[in-house]
Amino acid sequence: MLSAFTSAFKTPDLRKKILFTVFIIGVYRLGATLPSPGVSYTNVQNCIKATETGDVGGVVTLLNLFSGGALLSLSVFALGIMPYITASIILQLLTVVIPRLEQLRKEGQSGQAKITQYTRYLTLGLAVLQSSAFVALARSGQLFSGLCPQDNPQFTIIPENTGLPYWLTLTVLVLTMTAGTGVVMWLGELITDRGVGNGMSVLIFTSIAARLPSEGWSIKQSRGWGVFSAILVLVLVIITLVVFIEQAQRRIPVQYAKRMIGRRTYGGTSTYIPLKVNQSGVVPVIFASSLLYLPQLYLQFFNPNELNGYQQWIQNNLAKPSSWIYILTYFLLIIFFTYFYVSITFNPTEVADNMKKYGGFVPGIRPGKPTADYLDFILSRITLPGSFYLGLVSVLPNFFFIWLANEQYVNFPFGGVAVLIMVGVGLETVKQIESQLMQRNYEGFLR
Amino acid sequence: MAERNRPADDSADERPDDEVVEIVEDEPARGKDGGVALAESEPETDKKKRREGVGFFGRIGRFFREVVAELRKVIWPTRKELLTYTAVVVSFLSVITAIVVGLDYAFAKGVLWVFGN
Repeated sequence: MLSAFTSAFKTPDLRKKILFTVFIIGVYRLGATLPSPGVSYTNVQNCIKATETGDVGGVVTLLNLFSGGALLSLSVFALGIMPYITASIILQLLTVVIPRLEQLRKEGQSGQAKITQYTRYLTLGLAVLQSSAFVALARSGQLFSGLCPQDNPQFTIIPENTGLPYWLTLTVLVLTMTAGTGVVMWLGELITDRGVGNGMSVLIFTSIAARLPSEGWSIKQSRGWGVFSAILVLVLVIITLVVFIEQAQRRIPVQYAKRMIGRRTYGGTSTYIPLKVNQSGVVPVIFASSLLYLPQLYLQFFNPNELNGYQQWIQNNLAKPSSWIYILTYFLLIIFFTYFYVSITFNPTEVADNMKKYGGFVPGIRPGKPTADYLDFILSRITLPGSFYLGLVSVLPNFFFIWLANEQYVNFPFGGVAVLIMVGVGLETVKQIESQLMQRNYEGFLR
Repeated sequence: MAERNRPADDSADERPDDEVVEIVEDEPARGKDGGVALAESEPETDKKKRREGVGFFGRIGRFFREVVAELRKVIWPTRKELLTYTAVVVSFLSVITAIVVGLDYAFAKGVLWVFGN
């Protein structure tokens, strides 16, 4: 395995890609540490220290995890990649509903570019909304669940006596965070284009990895070595399980007919189409969790002591990770998004048409529509266990953590969702490096 | 010819056809039933409901049987593959985490030096 690492670095092309990705990750982390203008860095640090001992629940934990700790310190990249994810979910859902978008999607490359463009605009809109929401939360002190009162000069996150008009400070703050989101989006696309792995997932992965050691340490501090090692073992088991299922394939045999073009024969080989049990990867989980934080976000705009009837209901059910309604909704959302994402990424008709074009067929099935039907049949059957697996892995550890300690730990880096994202992204990235190595006839990591 | 070559796949490739056939048969039957039920007395409607209920559960049952059948054809990773992949993923995770944490530490020190009092 070590030799594979060295050979990965010996290939100039691959070395460039890997170093580029690491560089982008560095830029991302720099932006996540850099405080926005108008924010008092020392006061924010005081606040974070004050809340470390207390229990910061709800929306902040998950968002803070996905932004790699950047949100609580109100840094330049405080919003992280979340607005981009939300925007791409919205647009992908809309392509089903709005005929014009569907038409664009079918247009191929140029249409897809247009949809990406719309996603970027929507991201900026969402970023303006979210950053103003967070600035408002910071001013009212709710960002830290009221644990650091804003009338105390030691805790004032956005001080007023800076010599500038206050509205200007706030506007600049919102503008900075929105621009930061734009930059994060660009960094993600740079990774996809010129680095290794999918940019969006790599950045989320980085954020989660950034929280790992400190959260692990805080568990060890508060609960001792026993619980800490139990959690490590559990995480290892989950990792193995995730690897096991991600590697499972249903192979559909494909025969290629021999044909003569000029004086050469082509084809006559037999291969297979690998259909993974979980064809959709970790995207459904990311989608589901970023949709489920919306009710919590919504609640943040109200005073927790003066909620009306249905807001109360949301707080007790949809915004509470230990309530069974929350868990069930989560599970169902994951199943829905798994099927949805598979249907977007794998088009049986297209695959069948391509096979037909190059003289391929599944033994015993006619080319063309029957083949497409056959692929669709298998895909819809094989995705069911795949979606159940995704749902269970993201939900089950929550029970463990509720039993072990309290709800605070549910969304934290050792929870099912985070582990699923980390392993999924890790596997995907390593495989991409591997396939690039194989192109140059090196032995890969995976033998 | 293909059927002779791969008898094992026979059962699998019949199924989609089955479904199509069934749907085709279903539609007119349901239409007829509905017409009858509207025109005539209640026992007919009851019968229709019961039959559709069975059909629905039967369909779900069949769906699950097909899921299990497909799962049997899945090729699972071997023990060796599983161990290597897990090791690779774990080491990848540790490397990235180490890089990120190192960077974070350096940046935090730098920011504190610039902005702290």
